[in-house]
Parts: sequence; structure tokens; C-alpha cells
Amino acid sequence: MLSSIVPVSKEKSGKLALLHGVKEKSVVKPMKKTKPVQECACPVVEARNFSFYYGTKMGIKDITMKIQPCAVTAIIGPSGCGKSTFLRSINRINDLIPNIRVEGEMFVNNQDIYVKQINLVNLRQQVGMVFQKPNPFPKSIFDNVAYGSKLQGIKKRGDLQEIVEESLKAAALWDEVKDDLRKSALSLSGGQQQRLCIARALATKPSVLLMDEPCSALDPISTGKIEDLIDNLKKDYTIVIVTHNMQQAARVSDQTAFFCLGELIEYDTTTIIFERPNKKQTEDYVTGRFG
Amino acid sequence: MMSSNKNEQTVAAAAGFDQPLLLTYTQDIKGFLLKHLGRIVLFVLTCTSVLAVFLIFLFVILEAFPFLNRFSIVEFLTSTAWYPSAHERPEFGTLALIVGSIYVTATALVFSVPIGVLAAVFLSDMISYEIRGIVKSIIEILAAIPSVAYGFFAVLVLAPWLQKHFGFPTGTNALNASLLLSIMALPTIISVAEDSISATGRELREASYALGATRVETMFKVVIPAAHSGIIAAIVLGMMRAIGETMVVWMASGNANQVPHPWWDLSQSVRTMTATIAGDMGETEKGSDHYRALFAIGLLLLVMTFMLNTVSEYFLTRAKKSMGKS
Amino acid sequence: MKASGRVILDKVFTVITGLSVILLIIVLLVILGPMLWRGLSAVAFKGTVEFRKMQLAEFAQGDESAVHIETAKAETAQKTVYEMIDRFKNGVDFEKLADRAKDIYRDFGEELQRKGLPREEYTELRSLSRKIRNELAAAFSSRDIGEINEHIEYVLKYSSDVRFKGTVAIQFFQMANNYKDAAAKIDLEKRDEYASELAELEEIIKGLFGPHPEEDSPALAQFRYGATRWDQAQNLLYKLRLKEKWVEQEPGQPLVKIALSRAELFAGTELKGLFGFVEKNLDKMLLPRWTFYWRYFVDDSTPGHYFGGIGPEILGTLMLTLLSMIFVVPFGVISAAYLAECARDNLIIRIIRMCINTLAGVPSIVFGLFGLAFFVLFFLPLFGAPSKPCILAGSLTLAVLTLPVMIRSSEEAIRAVPQTYKEASLALGASGFRTFMTVTLPAALPGILTGVILSLSRVAGETAPILFTAGIAVGPVPKSIFQTTRTLSYGSWDMAVADKLAAQVPHNQYGMVVALVLLILCLNALAIILRSRVFKRLKGQ
Repeated sequence: MLSSIVPVSKEKSGKLALLHGVKEKSVVKPMKKTKPVQECACPVVEARNFSFYYGTKMGIKDITMKIQPCAVTAIIGPSGCGKSTFLRSINRINDLIPNIRVEGEMFVNNQDIYVKQINLVNLRQQVGMVFQKPNPFPKSIFDNVAYGSKLQGIKKRGDLQEIVEESLKAAALWDEVKDDLRKSALSLSGGQQQRLCIARALATKPSVLLMDEPCSALDPISTGKIEDLIDNLKKDYTIVIVTHNMQQAARVSDQTAFFCLGELIEYDTTTIIFERPNKKQTEDYVTGRFG
Repeated sequence: MMSSNKNEQTVAAAAGFDQPLLLTYTQDIKGFLLKHLGRIVLFVLTCTSVLAVFLIFLFVILEAFPFLNRFSIVEFLTSTAWYPSAHERPEFGTLALIVGSIYVTATALVFSVPIGVLAAVFLSDMISYEIRGIVKSIIEILAAIPSVAYGFFAVLVLAPWLQKHFGFPTGTNALNASLLLSIMALPTIISVAEDSISATGRELREASYALGATRVETMFKVVIPAAHSGIIAAIVLGMMRAIGETMVVWMASGNANQVPHPWWDLSQSVRTMTATIAGDMGETEKGSDHYRALFAIGLLLLVMTFMLNTVSEYFLTRAKKSMGKS
Repeated sequence: MKASGRVILDKVFTVITGLSVILLIIVLLVILGPMLWRGLSAVAFKGTVEFRKMQLAEFAQGDESAVHIETAKAETAQKTVYEMIDRFKNGVDFEKLADRAKDIYRDFGEELQRKGLPREEYTELRSLSRKIRNELAAAFSSRDIGEINEHIEYVLKYSSDVRFKGTVAIQFFQMANNYKDAAAKIDLEKRDEYASELAELEEIIKGLFGPHPEEDSPALAQFRYGATRWDQAQNLLYKLRLKEKWVEQEPGQPLVKIALSRAELFAGTELKGLFGFVEKNLDKMLLPRWTFYWRYFVDDSTPGHYFGGIGPEILGTLMLTLLSMIFVVPFGVISAAYLAECARDNLIIRIIRMCINTLAGVPSIVFGLFGLAFFVLFFLPLFGAPSKPCILAGSLTLAVLTLPVMIRSSEEAIRAVPQTYKEASLALGASGFRTFMTVTLPAALPGILTGVILSLSRVAGETAPILFTAGIAVGPVPKSIFQTTRTLSYGSWDMAVADKLAAQVPHNQYGMVVALVLLILCLNALAIILRSRVFKRLKGQ
């Protein structure tokens, strides 16, 4: 079945079966090795029988999975399957929606975050998020990136400037904006805005970075830049990325989770999910039989 | 595979995950108190509107009550004899005033409803987006002109003109006041009606056109029936505007305390409730019967506009519901 | 109906609806056009030397020496007119002449006494002068030219009498001569008529040139100057040349107005040439010049609104509106913030919204009653202030009036801020309050500002609420918020209806209402521009 999609040449690995139309350089990418857990300072994010309801409607049901620290975990699946819901439950940004109900536990660093005494401010500063559509504030570039740091109490001009520069460099945006940080963030292009949002999220020095389809609104060149960025960041950050784009998941992630209709179907290393999935549903999805 | 800026890229090192995830007890209590106290303060401040309405009703009733207690309410509402300054037996019959208000309002609606609805139809359906913006701006200008300017126009420009060209005994009469009131009610009617006609959406119209109907037929047989609640609300709101208007009718209606006779003769002067309050108040002493009678008229006005408001709200909610379904 | 019939109906309908909008535009032009045009003339007009005199004397404005030079020039030109009138008067105003004769007789008697003449001579001269006086009086009051000449001849017989030389009595003979000349020219039958016509004429001349240079300055400022504007002068010139009368042309029909030429009325007299002369030389007598009276917006007006500008009214309007904004903006924005951010859809919130709608529907005069009953009579005394109308009470009333507008537009502005900003801010660890203050509110600020401007324009135009709570028609410029004030809105009403003098100065009437309308239109234009920029900015996002 796999061979019917693209002629497989012997030299290239099985991953290529799905990668027609992908850029040359990504093709040559070697397989990533995940870092051993002990060297990483990031917390472990773990869901145990976690369910989420919008009123009476189910969002996700009975999810149990452990996110590997200092690695990239991709969550894939058809639309409406609960990927974003799960992601947004990790930093409790879903709380904005009225009438929600949660069952089970979500642990971050061995602490169930759905308890009453949770310190949301600290949680969200340590678990950062980048949204699907770039949403920089209608302020200057500097003020956007410095926003989170100011919340953390950093007031001195010099400190803020240092953090802003560091974050913009980390987001691969520094060169393009360093001449005028006072410019309005809304004057940047889509790809630049998204990288700005990443810089903004990085400024609070989070340990976990949640990315909800960060490249879906962007052009291929910006997408490539951001994928490279993710590659660079994962040494020190735990990254969870929700994506519609299976090729992207295959490119950047170490672990992949497949959701469907609110349930976790399969969760394993990326190679296994894409080359030798255990469940038939997974296979059907990654081969494009449905989606 | 690294981008060309490799040398300038520095990766921000993640801080250790060392911030506590649980609130301390004091933090928890403080946060709880702040959040709820804040909410309560905001809520109380928001309730100023409720307080304002309550106070308005309260004080108007308080000032009017002694009068309503002593004088017969039936006579108040049904007698046309308004002689508040008579020495022996002052009379406070407001029927002529009530009729006056209704008379000019109804006549104003006769002019403004057809023009308003037609204009709303035109705006929502028949012109391009840019011209629509211009026309809407013109309507906003009409709405922004203060009533005293309209009254000024009525007295100094329209009244002499009416007198000259139609030979009326006086230029300040029911016709003058009605014309100006209709101009003032038009923007309200047009904007609310246009909103509800536009809210019917493209699908309804496209379905009608697809069946071969012309624009007129679509308008009258499909769109306006669909938007009828909103249009009724628009008319009621226009009515409210006209009945509550003071300066224009005070300056333009002639202020003659009479029921027009014959009823269709617009060239007669009339007096409205609003003009009576505005005109008489300067001459009455506080606390006198006349003063309290004026507050009683004010109470009557308040009740009337409140009822009209409720009616318009009802129709607006109906309009919203019917849009929600389609 | 046939298909073609339906199409025709369709086209007709389109035209009709288009006409309704055109009707609206026409109505707007008809209302605003003439008012703006006439109001503009309060600021830009042809001002005469009288205007400049008035500005100097009443408002201490203008170049004193230049005004003096101009006044002298004008007076020179006007002198001819006064001389013509005087000459005519000598023949007509017989009462005055008779009085003057009496004065001369009395002065002569005093002179004789001072001279200390012997008793016989004194008596004789005295009785002689008395006789002369009586003859003159007879001559003055007679209508028959023959009789007059008789009397005059009798008097002039004594003109060469030595005893009268060098005395006051010479004036008798001067008068006699003048009168002889004058009487020869005028139609004596019409003398009584002339008197009243002359009085009218002199009134008009006074209106044109101001009081006679030799008269005392009148007490009322209104009468101290002639026509200050060229259009005023033209109106007076028309009245000078033509006398309007209501006559019954046909029995039983309503009276018709006709215009008679005054020159014809004075036919055959000195004054016939006056009218043409004045018409030709009026510009030399009044020295009109294009004036841009920008101080109209700053000057006070005296007396009433006859001269001057609308400065205090503008100040009053500004004070009232700005103070009411100070009261309403905090309550409005905070209420809007609560309703947009914290409120859930329960009964209490629905009651609050219902109350806001009710407030929006209350008639403005009822707000006036409320302001009187609550703020003036109850609230202010609670704090020790006198329970009288004042700016504070007026602005509080206006604040309550405009609260719904403020709440609605602020809530709309806050809701228009995209949810994603809020999410991004919360995801970075900001609390709800912090998010609102640093992200939502600044983003909503242009929209809120639009609401403030619209509220401001609404409040500036309101008259009914301030009738009993803050406004007066005539009064001093307020020095504190516990005094009443004049405003543009109240003043416009007053000038149109109540002020009797105002009809004589239409440019001031229109000027006041046009200032109000322009102020409001500018504010609205500002709001529209601001709103479209906000719209573009949020769309661009």
C-alpha cells in the first residue's frame, strides 16, 4: 500500500514515501535521537485519564500520555479531533470558555494543574503558547516581546533590552527588525509576526512551548524558518506542536500522537507512527485514506 | 539545513522549572479577595444606571404625588381646561396637551415612515458600498443637528415662509412642528429599519431572485415581511423620539392650548406636553400646585416613553430571534 | 401582471426610493444652507466706521488714531445732510422757532436789565421786543404766505433800529430772514405733515449716522452708534428712500403694502435732493470695509445681544460639556468594561441592560425635571451648596442623560477588540485585570474616544435639560461652577423666540445657532474620521 503512493528508491528511508514535494534539504535530514530524560531540566507533562467537556459536548476523552521533556512531540489528526483542545488544556487557556468541565488529571512537574490553588500566572509563564493565527499586540515590537518580562517584574530598561534582543535572536527575527524596534508589530509580514509571537513567548523563559498549528497561516519560506527554529529550540525546551500537516510532523518531531474524534489512538516515536503504525486507524490516516 | 543566520542565532536557554505551581495560602486568599472585591466594586459602579432610572422615577413621582393626591386624576387626564394660574379655582386638565403631543407625533410619522422605510430599502439594497457610506454620513449629520437649531429654523425661516405661501394666520402651527419632527425622527427610523433589512441576509434575496422575482417583488414580498419586526421597532423608536422632543415643538407649534378643530386642519396651533413643561416651569414657584402639575405631566411622559420603549424592545428581540432562525 | 409591467414597476420603484434619499439631502441643504450663510455674516461682513467706533469705545479694540481720522472724514461727508435738514427745519418746525423766539425775548430782557437803562426806555424796548416776538410767532404759525410776509415785514422794519444793534435781538431778524426764505419755498399746507415726516426722517438718519454730533451721547449703548454694518445701512437706506404703508386698495379686501417715495413727499422743498444725495454718497459717509470679526467668538455682547460676540456662550457651553464628561466617562467606561468582560447572561445583567435602554429613552425635558428635583433641590443642599441652578447641577444632569450613549459605545469598542489579544496576554501569565488594562483597554481606546466625542456633541446641543438647571439668557460670565451660565443652545433659543431686540440683529441670531451647529458638526466629523481609522486598523489586523 505504501509503495503505491510514490516510487520508493532504495537509498532513501521509508519516511520518504510520504514526502513527495518536500524541499531537498529536509530530505537529507538524519534521524534525530531523543535526549535522555535525566539531562533535561524541563518538567514532565503527563495526562492521566484526562477528559474535557464543552458543556455537554465532549472535547477529548480519557487521554493518557506522557510528553517527553526536551523533545518535540507532534499531535496529528483530522479536524475537530481534539488536538487543540488537549494542547490548550496544558496551560489552561481553555478556562476562557464558559461552561467547561474537566475529568481526570493533567500533571505538570508532578503537580495536577486542575486544582483550585493552582498558580495560573506561574503555570502560564513556564508553559508558553504560540497560536495558530499570529496575534501580536497592537504595540511596538519591543513592547510585544517585553510584555511577558514586565509581568515577571523586570523593570530596568537594560535588562528588558537584553531579554528582547535575546528572544528576537532566538526566534530568528533580530536581523530583520533590529533597526527599529519601535515600529508597530502590525506592520510586519505574517511570517515575521508569528516569529515575533514566538519571541514573545520565549521572553518569559518558559520550559514548555505549546504550538497550535503555528505555520498553518504562513507561506512555505516562513514555515521553513520556523521549523528550523523548532529544531534549534528543542535542545532546551519541551515542545508540543499541533499540526494538520503530516509532512511537517514527520520533519520536526521526535514523538507523534494521533488523535481521532477526541480520543488518543496511538502515541509513539515518529518513525513508528509514520512507517509502522500499530493501529489500522493510524495507518489509514497517515496514508491519506481519510482526513 | 540551518538557515544562513546561523552565526547570529543564539538559542535562549530555558530557565529551570523552578517557580511553584501552587499558590500559597495568603496568595490564594489575596487573589480571591481581590478578584471578588474588584468584581463587586465594578458591579456596584455599573449599577449606577439602575440607580439613575430608579432616582428619576422616584423624584418625579415624589414631586407629582401631592398633586395627584389632591386633584382628580380623571379630570387631569380628560379635561381640556388648563388654567393653572386662575385665582379661585385653578384647573389642570391636560387632555388638549396629550392630544397635541399625539397629533404632531402622528402627523410626523405620516411623513417620516414612508420616506424612512423607502430610504432604508434604498440604502440596504440598491446602492454600492461607497455611496452607502456617504448617504449614511448625511443621515448621521441630520441626526446630529441639535433640536434647538431645528427649532430656530422652524421659527425664523419656515414659519414666515408658510405664512406667506399658504396664507395661514400664523406660521407656528401643527404643520410646522410635524414637519420638523418628521425630519428629526427620520434618521432613527432609517438606521434601525436599514439594520434589520440588511440583517435578513443575502440568501433570502438570492432565493427570491433565482425564482424570477424582480427587485420590487423581492423587497415587498420577501424581505420586508422577513424584517417586519425590526421595521415596527424602528417606527416605535421614531415615535418615541418625536413624542419626547421639547425645543422644536415649543418653538414651532404655536402653543395654543386647544384640541384642533376640525381635526384635519394642520394650520392650527397646538400645544404639547413637553412644551407645556418647558414653558410653564419658569413662571411657577417651587412647591405650588402648578409646579407639581408639571411634574405630573412629566410622569405621564415618562410612563408613555417607558411603554413605547418596552414595545420596541419586544419587537427588536423578535427581530433578532427570527434572524437567528434563518 | 405581465412581465414587462413588472419590470416597469421595478424601475419606477427604484426611482422612488432614490428620490426619498435625494429628498433627505435636499432637506439637509435647505435647513443648513441659509442658516450657515446668514450665520457666516456675523463674522465676515462689511463693517462701517460706526462699527469701528463702537469696537473702540465698547471693547477697547482697534487703532484709536485711525478711528478718529475716519470719524472726522465721515462727519465731514455727513455735514451736508445735517445742513439740509436744518435749513428745512427752519421753515417747518415752527414750534421750535416760536420757542426760540421766546428765548431770545427773555435773553434780550436780561441784557437790557444788565445795561441799566432808564425805566422808560427799558419798558419801551421791552414791549417792542415783545411785539416782535408775537409777530414772529404769528408768522411761524400762519399758513398763509401773504400773512406770513406781512408779519415778517413788520418785524424786519426794526432790523435797522439802532437800539437793537449789537444785542441778542439781532437774532430775531436773522430768524425772520431765514424763515422768509424757507417759507417761500415750502408748501405751507403740508407743514403739519412735514413735521411728522421730518421726525421719521430724522429717526432714520439717526439710525444711519448715529446721534447728531452736537447731541449728548445717549445712555443706551444701542443708540450711541449708527449703522455698524453695511447691510444694515442698506436696509436703512431703503427705508429712507421709500416709505411703506398699508392701504386698502379694494374695500373689504385685506390691506396691501405699498411703497411711497419719500422724495415725492418732500417735493418742492429743500429736502427733495437729500435722498438722492445720501444714496450716492453713503459710502463716503459710512466708509464701509470688509471686516473679519474673528473676535466674535471671544467678545461678550452688549447690551443684550445687540453688539459684540458670543464669547461667554461658547465658554458656558464648554464648561458645561467638559464637566459633564468628567462625570460620565469613568462611570460609562467602567460599566462597559464590566458588561463586556465580567457579565454573564443572568437576570441581574438583563435588568441592568434594560435600565440602560430606559435611560436612553427618557425625554430630555424629563431629565430637566429630574435635574431640578434631584440635583438642584436635593443633592446640592446635601453638600451645603445653595439649592439654585448652577453649572454643577446642569452638568450632572447632562452626565446622566448621556450615560447610555457612553456605555453603549464603550462596550462596542471593548467587544470589538479581538479575543486573540486577550488569549495571548493570558497565555503569557497576565491576570484578567492586567490583560484588560494593558492590552484590551488601549486597543479599545480609539473607539471609546469616538464615544466620548459623540457624547460631547450630544451634550453641547441639549437645551431642555439645562432650562431649569443651569442656563440663563442674560447674565454675567460665571466665575465658579456654582453659578448659572449662558450657553450656545440656550442662547439660540432665546435669540429666536424670547429676545425682542434680537430681530433687529439677525446676524447675531444666526451667528449663535450656526456656531453651535458648526461645533457639533465638527465633533461628529472628528468622530467619523476616528471611527473609520479604528475600523481600518482592526481590519488590517
